[in-house]
Amino acid sequence: MMQHYPVLSIIILFLGAFLNALFGGKSSIVRNIITFLSTGTSFLLILLLIKPIMLEGKVISYWMGNWIPVSDWAIGIGLEVDQLSLFFALLVSFTVFLSGIYSFKYMENDDTLDKYYVLYLMLSGGVMGFVLSGDIFNMFVMIEIFTFAAVALTAFRNYIEGALEAAFKYIVIGSIGSSFILAGTTLLYAQLHTLNMAQIAALMHKNYTPITLFSLGLMFTGYAVKSFIVPCHAAAPDAYMTAPSSISMLFSGMVNKAGVYGMIRLLYMLFQSINLPSMQILIIILGTITMFIGVTMALIQNDFKRLLAFHSISQIGYVITGIGLSTALGITGGLYHALNHTLFKGLLFLCAGAVFYSVGTTDLNKLGGLAKKMPHTALIFLIGAFSISGLPPFNGFVSKWLIYQSAYEEGFVIVTIIALLVSVLTLASFIKVTQSVFFGQLSKECENAKEVPIGMRIPMWIMAFMCFITGILPQYVTKYLITPAVSATLNIGKYIDAMLKDGYAEKYFKETVPVPNINYKLAGYWRPEYYLILFIIILLAFTLTVLAGGIDVNRRSIVSKEIEDYKYDTFYSGEKSEYSQVGGADLFWGLKYDFRKYFNFMHSAHSGVVNDYTLWIISTAAIVIAYIFLLVP
Amino acid sequence: MLILKYLFYIFVFPGFLFCFFAGLILAGIDRKIVARMQKRIGPPILQPFYDFFKLMGKETIIPNSAAKRTFIAAPVAGLISLVTISLFIPIFKFSAFNAVADVIVIIYLLTIPAVSLIIGGSSSGSPYAGVGISREMVSIVSYELPLIIALLAVGKKAGMAVNDGMVTFSLSKIVEYQSLKGPMLFHWSMIPAFLAMLFVIPCEVGSLPFDIAEAEVEICEGPLVEYSGFPLGIYKLNYALKIFIFSSLFVTLFLSGNGTGIILFDAAIQYVLCIIVVILSVSLIRAVTARLRVEQMLKFYWTYPTALSILSLILVWLGL
Repeated sequence: MMQHYPVLSIIILFLGAFLNALFGGKSSIVRNIITFLSTGTSFLLILLLIKPIMLEGKVISYWMGNWIPVSDWAIGIGLEVDQLSLFFALLVSFTVFLSGIYSFKYMENDDTLDKYYVLYLMLSGGVMGFVLSGDIFNMFVMIEIFTFAAVALTAFRNYIEGALEAAFKYIVIGSIGSSFILAGTTLLYAQLHTLNMAQIAALMHKNYTPITLFSLGLMFTGYAVKSFIVPCHAAAPDAYMTAPSSISMLFSGMVNKAGVYGMIRLLYMLFQSINLPSMQILIIILGTITMFIGVTMALIQNDFKRLLAFHSISQIGYVITGIGLSTALGITGGLYHALNHTLFKGLLFLCAGAVFYSVGTTDLNKLGGLAKKMPHTALIFLIGAFSISGLPPFNGFVSKWLIYQSAYEEGFVIVTIIALLVSVLTLASFIKVTQSVFFGQLSKECENAKEVPIGMRIPMWIMAFMCFITGILPQYVTKYLITPAVSATLNIGKYIDAMLKDGYAEKYFKETVPVPNINYKLAGYWRPEYYLILFIIILLAFTLTVLAGGIDVNRRSIVSKEIEDYKYDTFYSGEKSEYSQVGGADLFWGLKYDFRKYFNFMHSAHSGVVNDYTLWIISTAAIVIAYIFLLVP
Repeated sequence: MLILKYLFYIFVFPGFLFCFFAGLILAGIDRKIVARMQKRIGPPILQPFYDFFKLMGKETIIPNSAAKRTFIAAPVAGLISLVTISLFIPIFKFSAFNAVADVIVIIYLLTIPAVSLIIGGSSSGSPYAGVGISREMVSIVSYELPLIIALLAVGKKAGMAVNDGMVTFSLSKIVEYQSLKGPMLFHWSMIPAFLAMLFVIPCEVGSLPFDIAEAEVEICEGPLVEYSGFPLGIYKLNYALKIFIFSSLFVTLFLSGNGTGIILFDAAIQYVLCIIVVILSVSLIRAVTARLRVEQMLKFYWTYPTALSILSLILVWLGL
């Protein structure tokens, strides 16, 4: 029975989409029930797989329509779920489930919602199918499904300025990425006459032709486009900004993770014997550029969601860097950060959605003072902001720390320094958001804002709670989720044997397949439970002091009743506030002034012209291919 | 018994009470020395205590435009994180929580007081605070780069000797290295990093000429403009604690070693060294300079101190 769970968890999402197309137009209750049941069942099925796969180390293989291999040659489409696939499937199904719950309230004022849910479930099913598939052509098909669903969802609120333009950019850039992947897949098929990932990995072991290397370059670029790595990122900010927040969460939580997953499979599975350390430098350079450019672009944004989109790009840079380090510790950091990024960035997008729901805009210049109106959202946002900036004891700290450590150990000092600096800039950027959205003066637009309904707050609280849990219990997360996934990434012999038959890998490798030994020595110590205990004890002490009445905190003024007394007004040097000349709107003036050349260059580079962005991608492809041919032996 | 021991660590030594006295006295010494350098008599050394207790007794006014809970909670969060850091900094061979003393953890924990200042200021709803926090943010970005590089250089230097050639981020390993090979300062390749760190201290604690965030004459103490009474007192305490903790971290990184083995003497030596470091890096500079502009500060930190710490890092990497 268990081997049917993966395929069921994919099919149920697609089934939900078709049912929604048929019956979803009738009433919102039908729609919501169908969506909730299909995403919930899919999530449950994936959860049930944790025990056999993560804990017992099984690998589930499944041949669609029972087209089993004939004389060791794969014919049918295979699904294969090892620990790495399951790790990503968990991220996907968790995000999808929460985003679905959030959508019920968040989207209630839009029309043609049946189409929204159809596309939403197609997107989810596409990504789910992608991460569970064991067949590269099937992966391409799933990429097409989720890319086109994503494009349509980007333009779903087509009354928002720029939505159609964003969708256009996304379709052009996304199609280029898909074409690269298709071309790479075709070349591999022409060379090896099979599409099964396990079989390709076995056949291609230390047996490369120029054509397979060319295909590596194409597919690498294709997946780089899918995960929005700089310089292939140009479609992302627009798409994230204009899509509904529940969808932006899916974009950053799983669509670009799909690209990362594809990249891991490509590098560690298909081309595993290509001598990864030589690919290492290219990937690390790309990752470092991505994190730096992402965060600096985020500093100068004036739109809440656009800013989050650039941060999303920047955080993917961390993931890619971690994976590119190709040590067990690096991959652990990368995958941990992928998990954390899904949690905190999803949370932040949900907060942006909550703000949009209450106020109707995400323009940072129009927002302000929302913490008084929406205290829950403000608190949740702070948790998300601290997590992404990597303040202990939240989760961003753990994974970033692993990445710094592994980069430093491998001798990439500059990468560690840039990564730490990017972390500081991330913090600075989120302080700007906190200041201009939740604190500061209450703006005109926000006067009638209300706290969002409980249906939207529940997913946000769950995400916030998860951010905290993964931050304070890293050793359990590592032990039960990350380390199995890392060992699956490196243990390709097991993957091949589980798909085809025992000893298959050894037959083609012509040597015993090494089983990776995952143990790493940490240069420092991270024991978050100590911090938690400390924080709690000290907090208790202070609360006691305050409660004992030793210090008068003036309890009266904590009551939110407004008191008419000039003493409680804000200080404006004796001027009336409307005549005050104190501006202070631009929080990064000093930084922008010192780096004006850089910022001007970046500003003009992001011209908004799709042709330019296409050129960037083609150039990236050219560079990657040239790199592979010149430097990889 | 174990719980009592930890409670003692947290609340008495090297935690809250020790930091409280050490920090405020250090702030008093700093004020006195600056005054003497400027040919003033200056306040008594215990003046920060008087200030603190006076503020505790004053009425706390929370403006109507403030997000009230955040307004009160922000300074306390900053204080908590400072006390937490104090537990992780080894005093020669003694440290309260040995297993968790880690340089990167400390880098991040050190940003929390600054963040608490920013969050508190921004929750007050004042435009002056808005200007102040933007400056505070630029100052964080400024000093963080040389600080990171200097710490990495120290970690590499110690790790090459005592951690099988790998980097170490553990503070107790760094102390162990110094007890074997003498203080970091006596290794000439570490002198540039030492100088860079000396420059970082005044910016980290926010004293002249790097107190752009709290410039009284321009923006009325920026983030603190709306604060009064109890939370203001906590912020003043945070300032004093920051001076002490950062100089103590500095001493641990560069001037530590075997010590005498008796905690009391070790703490006294550490404290005397802290006073010297503060006089050198905070008081001396504060007495003779005027406030910088925002963009000058960023430019300064990203050139000279950064170059110095990079020089150190390269030297260490070359094995010198």
